[in-house]
Amino acid sequence: MPEESYLTTPLRKENISKLRVRNIVFLNGTVYTARDMAHIRIMDFLRENKQLPVDFEGTAVFHAGPVMEKNGGEWRIKVIGPTTSMRMEPFSETILGKLGAKAIIGKGGMGKGTQQALEKYCGVYLLSPPGCSVVQAKAVEKVLRVHWIDLGVPEAIWVLEVKMFGPLIVAMDSNGNNIFDEVKERALNKVKSLLG
Amino acid sequence: MKDMKTIDNRFLLNTAIEVMKKSCTEIASDAKELLLQASKKERSPAAKRLLEMMVKNAELASTEGKPVCQSPGYPVAYITLGDRVSINANFQKVLGEAIVIATNDGYLRPSMVDPITRVNSGDNSGIGVPDIEIEHVPDADYVDLVVSFKGCGAELANVTKVLTPFQVGENGLGVKKLVLETVANAGGIPCPPVAIGVGIGGQIHYAAKLSRRAIGLRKWTDKNVDPDVAEMENELLRLVNQLGIGPAGIGGDTTALAVKVEKVHTHTAICPVAINFHCWPARRAGVRIHSDKTVEQLF
Repeated sequence: MPEESYLTTPLRKENISKLRVRNIVFLNGTVYTARDMAHIRIMDFLRENKQLPVDFEGTAVFHAGPVMEKNGGEWRIKVIGPTTSMRMEPFSETILGKLGAKAIIGKGGMGKGTQQALEKYCGVYLLSPPGCSVVQAKAVEKVLRVHWIDLGVPEAIWVLEVKMFGPLIVAMDSNGNNIFDEVKERALNKVKSLLG
Repeated sequence: MKDMKTIDNRFLLNTAIEVMKKSCTEIASDAKELLLQASKKERSPAAKRLLEMMVKNAELASTEGKPVCQSPGYPVAYITLGDRVSINANFQKVLGEAIVIATNDGYLRPSMVDPITRVNSGDNSGIGVPDIEIEHVPDADYVDLVVSFKGCGAELANVTKVLTPFQVGENGLGVKKLVLETVANAGGIPCPPVAIGVGIGGQIHYAAKLSRRAIGLRKWTDKNVDPDVAEMENELLRLVNQLGIGPAGIGGDTTALAVKVEKVHTHTAICPVAINFHCWPARRAGVRIHSDKTVEQLF
């Protein structure tokens, strides 16, 4: 079986550098959700030199939009799972470089820009099993805060306390390995051999 | 002869709410069965672990009454309208209301936005939501209502192309190649194991509509009534599962659970093709409302 590790936030370079594709990770600590609209607003804030509501240094950014319930003013999580990471490709240099996030959690993988940023700043891309929202919500212990709720429930930044969040699969590592690229290259060659 | 009763807004609303809640919390039994079979057959240990997690998640969602996936996808309602029924109901309005109620009850995440401003309506109401397709069936004394919430990561990998007669090639080779290349390029984005709908013919809007219908309305375990098309479906499924994309795109035997093809005639100059992915959570539920207002479960 692939090697399993347990990581606790804030994440440090030494936690990340030894991870390799196909390793399994379980995460403890805090994760921050962010999708398209949160990333776009982060870029706007940086351009306008405005203070971000979140310090991303050492964090795990989760490409996800949960289903939430509000009971007596308190948010409770119903289910959560990953969204397609490729949409956030234009922002990776900023998230991993300028803001210092150490892990991106999502599904479907990301592009060349992200791969370069993961190598340059020592980060990792973790695959969260798609469509497994009930299982994954069980690892969320608490909804700590929400920022930018005006963007709508899926697009807000949700700050979540997680315990044994996983299994997450290391799909892109800080050493230049990318599972999705390997699989895609093999598949395209296979198409040629099957149909010419 | 059944005792004919009028299907009104109130009856349709209550029926639609039940169908939608079932659709969100239980994946269709045909898809569940295919997923289970795949999890048993898969040879890659990592892929097998993912498939088993998917099976477990589908079971938990059903027993706990929670959404299978956090994303409700985009809703399409397929209505088959018999002409020996009495109807006094506004389908567009009532199905839109049912979606808002299911959202407020916590079954659907509010996800409908204006396509340009990206402003979220907050309750899944919106212009054109849900998309409704109505098919008329003569000499039938029932109305079928099937609701399909299809995920949108899957949507990001869709491809439409208008091929020339030369590009179609012998025995549809060009179409088959387009399907395989699309699957290879999509990788893990459409949340494999997927179902793939292929719409062929008409003009491009028609092919696109058929591609969505193929995987949103048909059972993934059914057999095409046209034997030639059925053979094409089997061949494509076999080929796709040799590409090694695997669950979530990490590699493995299980890339697709089903390939469904819908073919109609087209103009002599063209061959429109639409390739439409459905992620593994098949959120499809449907009922048959008989003319005496008895309700029969379809999925």
